[in-house]
Amino acid sequence: MLFRLAWATLARHRARTLLAMLGVAVSAAMLLDMVMLSSGMRSSFKNLLLARGFQIRLAPKGTLPLDTDATIGNAAEIASALRAMPDVAAVSPVLGGQLHVPRDGRTVTATALGGDAQWQGDYEITDGREPRAPDEIATSDDFLRAANLRVGDTLSAAAGYDPQLRAFSGMRRLRIVGRAHFLYMAAEQRAVALPLATLQAMQGEAARDRVSFFMVRARQGASVDSVLRRIELAVPKVSAISTESAIRQVDQRLSYFRQLAFILGTVSLAVGFLLVTTLVTVSVNERLGEIVVMRAIGVARGRVVSQIVLEGTAIMLAGAVAGLGLGLLTARYLNSILASFPGLPASIDFFLFEPRDAWAALGMLVAAGILAGIYPSWRGASVPIAMTLREEAVG
Amino acid sequence: MFAALLAAVALQQIDSLPAHRAPRTVVVDERLAADAGVKLGDQLIVSRTPGGAGDTVVVSAFMRRRADPSEVARAEYRVRMHLGELQSLIDYGDRMDRFALLSHPEQREGSALPSLTDSAIRRINGAAFGFQAHRSRDIAVETSQTFLVVSRFHRAIGVITIVASAIFLLCIMLLKVDERRRDVAALRLMGISAQSITRSVMVEASVVAVVGSVVGLLIGWIATLIINWHYRGVYRTPLAFALVTPQIAFFAMTLSLVLGLLAGYVAARRLVSMPPLELLTGRRDDRPSVAAAH
Repeated sequence: MLFRLAWATLARHRARTLLAMLGVAVSAAMLLDMVMLSSGMRSSFKNLLLARGFQIRLAPKGTLPLDTDATIGNAAEIASALRAMPDVAAVSPVLGGQLHVPRDGRTVTATALGGDAQWQGDYEITDGREPRAPDEIATSDDFLRAANLRVGDTLSAAAGYDPQLRAFSGMRRLRIVGRAHFLYMAAEQRAVALPLATLQAMQGEAARDRVSFFMVRARQGASVDSVLRRIELAVPKVSAISTESAIRQVDQRLSYFRQLAFILGTVSLAVGFLLVTTLVTVSVNERLGEIVVMRAIGVARGRVVSQIVLEGTAIMLAGAVAGLGLGLLTARYLNSILASFPGLPASIDFFLFEPRDAWAALGMLVAAGILAGIYPSWRGASVPIAMTLREEAVG
Repeated sequence: MFAALLAAVALQQIDSLPAHRAPRTVVVDERLAADAGVKLGDQLIVSRTPGGAGDTVVVSAFMRRRADPSEVARAEYRVRMHLGELQSLIDYGDRMDRFALLSHPEQREGSALPSLTDSAIRRINGAAFGFQAHRSRDIAVETSQTFLVVSRFHRAIGVITIVASAIFLLCIMLLKVDERRRDVAALRLMGISAQSITRSVMVEASVVAVVGSVVGLLIGWIATLIINWHYRGVYRTPLAFALVTPQIAFFAMTLSLVLGLLAGYVAARRLVSMPPLELLTGRRDDRPSVAAAH
């Protein structure tokens, strides 16, 4: 009965109810997007960092991995010291640089990562295999396209370019043995991977026994924090960064988006709340006579309140369900805009859908719907019956 | 004799003593100064690597960052040194990363005769010195990519907000007009034309829209003050994060007025298209009309 009465009231003004639902749908879409934005970046970045199971990064003191050209010396000694630690399962040294490949009268330049194929954590092979021999290389699809090469081809690559002499340095012949998806590279960024010793040799004396950063994987069950502390004591000239502290740094750099998400999410919720409150209040005012008649024939005050609250909740719920679908569509569009941030890894999503986000948005909207019905229902249930009946009758 | 020797040392007139060198000076980023508690005149040791051997320098000034969007998210500190001193400190030799060239006054950016700047760039790029010349404008565009993306994101959010506002406004107008269905019915029965009623509702809608947009602009302006104060503090930059320009104000008011008028028109037409008696009683008259009966 309660549901039928609420439905009849909403159906009486179809256009109005539909518009309110549409308004709530847009607010719900925005709210879902903002909930996704506030948590998506963090989850996405965490997933990315832990994609290959390395929980700790070691970079030159005061820097982040590959944030500057600084490198770490005595790399072999540091790697041995790290591997000797009881709670360390794997150590992956990485040297960053550039590779220039002269092709058909032009030069194709790519970001180069020199590493240990057995322990590397920067890429996933999609075709072929990892580069193990000194003359082997794995490349990204974008590089292959730009250089017009295929897996199995051989290329000549240089690690340096002297602009004054206009000459390449550290030239080598390398064989492409695999295609790889580079986890931390921006979309369309050309990248190649080759053995660490090869890249060090190509870069010359300046890179001898040097790396840009290390990645460290702690043993299963070991405390990452205690491994981190031990590393900081053993290798004081590097900055040890755990996944959590890296996320904190990213949070700090991108705090703008979290705050924007909070503000816009709050505004969306407030707009939805105001819309439903206005609609239900006007609806109650219009049928005060009807409400007092119900009260006069013995319908309990609680029942009247429930019916009005139900109307507000129904509008909010219907709008929210439509809004969640709309929100997913708009999130995709907004994500495609933010994905074009220069230098942002292609795997990072600003709007990452997780079911708990949808439940959170739905929960907030339903709560707002219930709250929106409280004032008009209180007003409807507390009008004096006799006086209102008389006013309605006289007009 | 001893006093003369001291005086001579002070005046650096004895060849066997090392020549007096004025202390090297550096300019320190005010963020670094604040975080590290550095004061003017303090002596610092600057080195190429952490903990490595370095030079002692004196802090001669503090510098404030420019309002450069490309630097906003970067939390690094900066120190400005004399070129030769930095080259010697980092063992860079007689090299540098870039030159900045100031074009002749009549060849400034935006000049109607940009060809001389272009030809200068072509000449530099053509010379075999391994240089690559770029226009400052092109570099600015390249380094502002981040903010261009943010700007596109804001525009998309703005479109969603406009859609939500339009629906909200239409809904409110519909409710307002619906509330007065009896008044409208009485006016219609008195002989007031549907056109006059529509016009009066539209005037009311435009007043609501204009007043609402003025209040909105005021709230927006206060919000920009809070946003700029907050983010300038967070990122420690003089950059303006939010601005209410006359163009934005004009756009917001025009859009609000257009949406208000549209909402008023739709709501009014919906009301005046119903028979007055139906509006008055709230019941639909389903009886066949006399003409139809015949």
